[in-house]
Order: sequence, then structure tokens, then C-alpha cells
Amino acid sequence: MVPGSVAKNDVFTVKAIIQHQMETGLRTDSTGKTIPRKIINQFVCRYGGLEVFRADLHEAVSANPFLEFNLRATENGRLEFSWREDGGATYSLFHDIVVT
Amino acid sequence: MSLTRRHMLTSTIGTVACAVALLTPKRARGADEVEDFLWRLTGRKATPSNRLRLVMPAEFPTGYTVPMSITVDSPMTEADHVKSVRVFAPKNPLVEVVQFHFVPGRSLSSVSTRVRLAAPQHVVALAEMSDGSLLMAKAWVAVATNGCL
Repeated sequence: MVPGSVAKNDVFTVKAIIQHQMETGLRTDSTGKTIPRKIINQFVCRYGGLEVFRADLHEAVSANPFLEFNLRATENGRLEFSWREDGGATYSLFHDIVVT
Repeated sequence: MSLTRRHMLTSTIGTVACAVALLTPKRARGADEVEDFLWRLTGRKATPSNRLRLVMPAEFPTGYTVPMSITVDSPMTEADHVKSVRVFAPKNPLVEVVQFHFVPGRSLSSVSTRVRLAAPQHVVALAEMSDGSLLMAKAWVAVATNGCL
């Protein structure tokens, strides 16, 4: 969740959530076999191509990882959010921010 | 009950002894534990600081999704900013929770998320500042049901 337009140099809030099981690798199934770890291990937010916020996530982050953080509106540009899963798959989302 | 000198003396000694036994060692041990933990983990000395605030509920019904907010007082300029904040849950089977990275100018030094806690414990946050100092804050969280990790 990102506002559509922001005044220059104002601070705006970004709320990002992804649906994900966040399997910790510490659980076992009914036969006693360990369920392999599969979590979102990194979230990156880029603004106009520059990294402005990053979170390295470990097993203890809740399922459906939620992140809320604040950025300063410096210029018109694309906000890019990407989540990286164990195994290397990434999920991305774009949002163009208009600075007035 | 008559208020005699003997009564006053014994009750005072009793109260003081209780206070000493209950408060001081526990409090001292609590602080030492966290500092020892960070020392073992990072090999560096962290300073408890009010500039770093770790806000979590003191009691929460479930250990699966405990809300957590972190704020660092910082101008976030090139010369003075927060580089990163790490969070640890020492009583979890895997103590590392999350690490946030900030950049000066564009990001503000605050973030919220939700975490899992395997037991009631002190959650510890450690902020690395641009001048190389380490700030530390902790929050006691009692979870009613432990989050499975």
C-alpha cells in the first residue's frame, strides 16, 4: 500500500505484505521427516533504481510477512518491491510515485 | 499490633532483605544476560540507549504473530544515520529474527513487522549507527501460546 501522490520531501508510509507459508525447516511431518525450510529470506525496496530499504528475514518472521516503513518523496520515480524466496525465486511489484 | 522498636527493626530488616533478594539480583542478572548474549553474538559492546525504541506488547495471546515496531532517533543524514537494526529472540531455537537496512536521505529509521516467539522472553534490538556505535534496546514479551518454529 503506497499513496498515489506525495508532496516533495514529505514522508510517506509503505505497507507491504506477501502471502507465504514461511516454512521454518524445524517442523516434522506425520512420518517424522523434517519439512524443508522455505521462507521469504529477503525483501528489497528500490526507489528510482536505488535501494532505499532492505530486510533480511529469518525463520522467526511470521507467515505472510508484513512490513511497514517510511520513505521520503524526493522525486518522481518507480518504487520496486521484491521478495526473494529460498531457492532463488523472486516476486516483484511496481508502483509509480508522483511527487507534486 | 503494637508498634515497638523491635517490631520496627525486624520488619525493616525483613523488607530490605526481601527487596535485595528479589529485586537486585534479578534485575542485574536480566541486564547481564542480554549484554552477555550480544557480546557472544557480535563480539562488540552495545550501549543501552533511549534513542532506539523496540515496541512490543508485554503480553500477547499468540506467539505466531507478535507485532513489533522499531524506531531510532536519527536525522538520517549522510553524516549521522542508522545503517541497520538487527533483532534477536534469545529463547527461540534460531535466535536471529530479522535485520533491516536503511539508507540516509531517502528512508526513515522506523519499521514495523510481525514475528514468532517460541517462549516468553526478552526480545533484543541492536542498531548499528554510521559512527560505528551499537545501540541496544530490549522488550519483555509474554506470549500465552508459544509460536511453533
